[in-house]
Amino acid sequence: MNTREGWGMRDVGKLREPGTGNRERVSFRAQRGIALVPVESPRSGSLRSLAALGMTLLLGASPAFAQAGNPQRPAAATAAPNAQQAPPLDLTAVSLPIPPAGKLVAITNATIMTASNGTIEKGTIVIRDGKIAAVGADVPVPAGAKIIDGTGKYVTPGIIDAHSHSAAEAINEGTLSITSMVRIEDVLRQDGISLYRQLAGGTTTLNILHGSANTIGGQNAVVKLRYGLPVDSLKFEGAPPGIKFALGENVRQTNRNLQPGQQGRFPRTRMGVEDLLRDAFTRAQEYRRDWQQYDAKKKAAKTAAERAALIPPARDLELDALVEVLEGKRLVHCHSYRADEILMMLRVAKDFGFRVATFQHVLEGYKIADELAKAGSGASTFADEWAYKMEAWDAIPYNAALMAERGVVVTINSDSDERARRLYQEAAKAMHYGGASEQEALKMITLNAAKQLGIDKRVGSIDVGKDADLAIFTAHPFAPNARVDMTLIDGRVFFDRATSPTLEQLIEQMKQRKPHVASEDR
Amino acid sequence: MTGNWERGTGNTVPLPGRSRSLAVWLGMTVLASVAQGQTQTGTYVIRGGTVVPVVGARIPNGAVVISGGKIQAVGANVQAPQGATVIDATGLFVYPGMIDSGTELGLTEIGSVPGSTDTREIGDFNPQDVALTAVNAHSELIPVTRVNGVTTVVTSATGALMSGTAALIDLWGWTPDEMAITPRVAQVMSYPSSGGGGRGGGFGGRPQGDTAETVSRQARAMRDLFADARAYADVKAKLAAGGSVPNASRVNQAMESLVPAIRGEMPIIFDVNTIEQIRGVLTLADSFKLKVILRGPRDAWRVADTLATRGIPVIVGPTTQVPGSDDPYDAIYAQPGVLAKAGVKIAFQTSGASDVRDLPYNAALATAYGLDMDEAMKALTINPAQIFGVADRYGSLEPGKVANVMVTTGNPLDVRSNVKYLFIRGEQVPLTDRHTKLYEQFRARPKP
Repeated sequence: MNTREGWGMRDVGKLREPGTGNRERVSFRAQRGIALVPVESPRSGSLRSLAALGMTLLLGASPAFAQAGNPQRPAAATAAPNAQQAPPLDLTAVSLPIPPAGKLVAITNATIMTASNGTIEKGTIVIRDGKIAAVGADVPVPAGAKIIDGTGKYVTPGIIDAHSHSAAEAINEGTLSITSMVRIEDVLRQDGISLYRQLAGGTTTLNILHGSANTIGGQNAVVKLRYGLPVDSLKFEGAPPGIKFALGENVRQTNRNLQPGQQGRFPRTRMGVEDLLRDAFTRAQEYRRDWQQYDAKKKAAKTAAERAALIPPARDLELDALVEVLEGKRLVHCHSYRADEILMMLRVAKDFGFRVATFQHVLEGYKIADELAKAGSGASTFADEWAYKMEAWDAIPYNAALMAERGVVVTINSDSDERARRLYQEAAKAMHYGGASEQEALKMITLNAAKQLGIDKRVGSIDVGKDADLAIFTAHPFAPNARVDMTLIDGRVFFDRATSPTLEQLIEQMKQRKPHVASEDR
Repeated sequence: MTGNWERGTGNTVPLPGRSRSLAVWLGMTVLASVAQGQTQTGTYVIRGGTVVPVVGARIPNGAVVISGGKIQAVGANVQAPQGATVIDATGLFVYPGMIDSGTELGLTEIGSVPGSTDTREIGDFNPQDVALTAVNAHSELIPVTRVNGVTTVVTSATGALMSGTAALIDLWGWTPDEMAITPRVAQVMSYPSSGGGGRGGGFGGRPQGDTAETVSRQARAMRDLFADARAYADVKAKLAAGGSVPNASRVNQAMESLVPAIRGEMPIIFDVNTIEQIRGVLTLADSFKLKVILRGPRDAWRVADTLATRGIPVIVGPTTQVPGSDDPYDAIYAQPGVLAKAGVKIAFQTSGASDVRDLPYNAALATAYGLDMDEAMKALTINPAQIFGVADRYGSLEPGKVANVMVTTGNPLDVRSNVKYLFIRGEQVPLTDRHTKLYEQFRARPKP
């Protein structure tokens, strides 16, 4: 059970024991095993959905989540992350109470904000098999296409939230400061109604990150909001794997009240955080060297007896993930606030030869925008959050625009189930504070996020060949009264206000149901 | 009574013949490096823009004259006084300053630093606490708020069953006294709750153990205190009328502070969330003839007609919340429109401090889900002025009113709009703050 495959075994019979920590690998595995069971049942009672769920439970392996790798070897050292890809999901075959978009769809006569090539007035988007087949002002509507009338509407790429904790059962492991072995994908759940509500705000893709209690946190999961499908169907197929790092007050645990007699956890200072990082990556380098030496000897061995005499290094799941970081196969998303700690992280990354894909929050990024741009690190920030703790005291809402001006790939994220419902309004703040252009602001919640997550060939803009992940607004998405009417993923309508329960409808129903009682009674 | 605010309930501070040097000080000392730091008080004419008085029709190519801290004239054909400073608002819009009906502004600086927060006193019942006492006139959050056109706020402690009196303040002044419009504008209370989150839901003070029992005990304690206050007020009235009362009680700070509320002279803001809490408040209001304002409810839409009939105002928001788990996805966004259409007088709150600048964007979310745009603007201006009893001086662009005026590039609810000029009490306010300062500073950092 010391292998990746071993970790994949689902022990559905075991109940999670309260208080089970993960210092002991064995108990952690038990925890991991049970956590795989989707907490929420799918929205529909579709036989196929249930069957898929059953398969997950019984076989313990979801094709969509299958990991590459050799039982004897660290995954990073062998196969590419996505070598064992699942076949594409046949979403149209699943029966759900969401209107199927069909194989061929055309959104006509709409204002199309592409995020890559400006805005097209009175344009048409043709969707074929879930992909954008054509987009433009003079695109003919193919015969037999299901038409979505976009007259008076605005279409944007589906919104990508570069920092989310939705759909995750638990996101913090407070005991250790290095938890690179834990994986968000193991605790994903449909998360009830929250995902649906984010869809209703035009959000289609989330970067679900581990919490920020750990200097080196857990592995992320990039998902599409395929609400209503079994939880494993959420996974964004082909998205590069990532990992959460964190700096500053949260990992120092300075805002935590210790009980009498309780000792604080190392590290307690920003110097300690650097020490921890350097120590971890030094160990990862040595671990990789041990495996390389073992591999070389094995290769050089002339007989089976010689090979059998070789003893492989002990597997270390914590270091496996860090080796992937060293080899550029796992994207680092680093929670950070202050300029000094960001510069420290850049130095550590440079010394160990990897790139930090994104700095998350990065509230003082504007102070060191040139350094971020030079390092090729993206920045994913809040629109205007500040003053909630000491390290957020120098946060300014001009951060996004200023970093973008100096050449950083910038996104505005939610880090919240609430803000994820209205990221379009948050993005407009980059125009209000610092004068970002309309397209630049839109990119901060679409194309730039796709770039930061390494999925820009698939999503992030309205271009031919990309996934038909789209949001249809009643007005300009940055206008005060903008509302999402429809959200599509892979060409399928996953949110449609026309068929959604709204407050207005509920009030109407209540009036009809009990016409004889005062309106104040339910 | 609490020392400095011995002005009698509901009394308001007379219009300032304020020190001109505040503007000068702000302009020259703190923000010396910023170009628009030059400020003046005096006579202004804002002309060429679209004037939106909020009360009455909008005036294309209108003018607003400001002098002596007040609005002197509003209209299409207004004569500019001799020597007036001309503000060219061509292509711009002129609105009254916005009012946030629920904040902690001035009472907190950095959320996680206890030494910088005065938002929650120990104990459940502190009606005698006066929020204005702890307002830091020089909080960095104040300029950050006003540059987005929020000129006036209600600020108070929250979270206890009785948190004390809120202050209605302009975001301008050297001291809390100078900022105050109405030093004690309302009592702030939370109706007991069995949980469920939100400010009115006992987020910080969720009862432990048997919640139903706790809620019932807290509600009883609240009723008892009101009953005591009623008796105390009666004794006070009798003594004032020259009567004698055997065994009259000694002066009691808490009781004194509740007398105006129990006499219906001072409104009580009830932070509530659920329908149960709303019903509890309505019952209390009936029993003790209280003048109540509901703040932050999620379930007010369920009793919209009742609230409209009874004339109970509702302070909605923040709209930046997720709905209750059983509510429709748009419940929070759609509620303000439902209430307004039913005839309830609504105003908006952000309920925070660092995010009060987002007040207009809170209202914007409601306009996307049914609230009329003009109604939304009223809910940020004239409605709160009416709810807090200062509509004769605040809430619209009308001659004689306090000159809280913003000149914007567009609809203030549109995030893309910016405030170009701002006046509070007739003084032109620099559009600079901690954030613009840091922005300018680091924007000028030489490239390597």
